[in-house]
Amino acid sequence: MTKTKTPMSKTKKLLYSIGGVYVLGIVLLVVIFGFGHKNNTFQIQNEFQLINWVHLGVFSINRAVVYLFLAAVLTVVTTVWIANRMQQRPNKVQTAVEVLFSLMRDNITRGNMDNAMAAKWFPFLGALFLFIWFSNLIGYIPLPTNSGETFNVFGAHIPDFALYAATANISVPLVLALVVFIAFNWQGVRTQGPIGYVKSLLPGGVHGPMAIFIGGLEIVSTFMRLISLTIRLFANILAGHLIILFMAGGLAVILGLSFLGWFTLPIGVLIYLFELGLVATLQAFIFATLAAIYLGGAVTHH
Amino acid sequence: MLTHIISFAAASTGVGAGLGIGIGGGLGALGAGVGIGILFAAVIQAVARQPEMRDEITQIQWLGFALTEACFFYGLVAGLISYVLK
Repeated sequence: MTKTKTPMSKTKKLLYSIGGVYVLGIVLLVVIFGFGHKNNTFQIQNEFQLINWVHLGVFSINRAVVYLFLAAVLTVVTTVWIANRMQQRPNKVQTAVEVLFSLMRDNITRGNMDNAMAAKWFPFLGALFLFIWFSNLIGYIPLPTNSGETFNVFGAHIPDFALYAATANISVPLVLALVVFIAFNWQGVRTQGPIGYVKSLLPGGVHGPMAIFIGGLEIVSTFMRLISLTIRLFANILAGHLIILFMAGGLAVILGLSFLGWFTLPIGVLIYLFELGLVATLQAFIFATLAAIYLGGAVTHH
Repeated sequence: MLTHIISFAAASTGVGAGLGIGIGGGLGALGAGVGIGILFAAVIQAVARQPEMRDEITQIQWLGFALTEACFFYGLVAGLISYVLK
C-alpha cells in the first residue's frame, strides 16, 4: 500500500530553506575559521564613549549633546507642524496624533490627578513623555557618531556608524528624574505647607516609636522614587543596547568565534525589534505615568 | 560557616567581580520572572471573567509589567556596581 505524498507548501519550503542556510552557514564558518582565541583589545565601553567635538569646558558638544538636541528639535517641530495642520475631518496622521494626545491627557494626566491640577501640569507631562519617547526612538537609528573609530571615504575620516541613545547615559535620566522630584515635592509643599507635607508622610493611626519608624521609611521611600525613576529608564535602554551589541557580533569578537556571530544574529534582530517596538514607548509612558502619580499623591492627605 | 567558605574561595581566586554580576543578574531575573508571570496570570484570569474590560486591564498590565521589569534592572545595576568596585 503506497501513501500519496502531497507537495510541500510554499511557506514550509521557505522555512526549511532559511533553516538550511542558517545551519549551513554555521557549519561553513566552523570549518573555514575554526575556533579562535579571546580578544582582549575590544572594549564594549568604547561603544558608549563620549568624545568632545567642540571643547567648551562643561558645555562641550559630544554625541550625547547632539542626540539631546536632535530629540528636542524633533519634539518641537513635529508637534508644532501637526498643530498647524489640524483639520475638521482628520486624516490618518491627525487621528494618530489625537490618540496620542488622548493618551497623554486622559490616561496619564487626568487619570492620576484632579482636573484643575491636570490642566496646569499637562504641558509638563506631555513634553516629558514626548521628549523621552523621541530620545529613546532615535537611539535605534545608526548614526555616524562614534569618532573613536573612523572610516575613510575619499580621504575624509567619517566617524563610525553606531547605535547610541542619549538616555543610555545616566546623566539624562538623572536630570529628568530630578526635575520630577523637585516638581512633586514643590507641589506638595505649596499645597500643604512644609510641615503639613512632612506630616502627610506619617501614616495616621500609629503612635509612638512605630510612627517614627514608618515615617522614616516613608521619607526614605520618597528619595527612593528619585533613584528608581533614574535607574529604570537608564538600565532598560542601556541593557537593550548592550544586548543588541553583544548579539550582533560583540560576543563573537570577544571570544574570537566566527560562527557565534552568525548564530546569535537572529537573536540580535529580535531583541532590536522588541526594544524598538515595545521598550522605547513603554519606558517613556512609565516615566510620565509615575511622574503624574507622584504629583497627584503629593496633594493628598494620608 | 558555608558563607565563610564561599567568600574565602571567592576572595582567594579573584572571581568576586564576575560573581557579583552573576548573582545580581541571576537573582534579579528570578524575581522579575516570578513577578511578571503572576501579573500576566492575573490579567488572563481577569479578562476571562470580564472580556469587556479588556482594554482597561491591558493598560494596567503594561504599567505593572514595566514596574516589575525594573526590579530586574535594579539587581543588574547592583551587580555592575560590585563589578566596578571589585
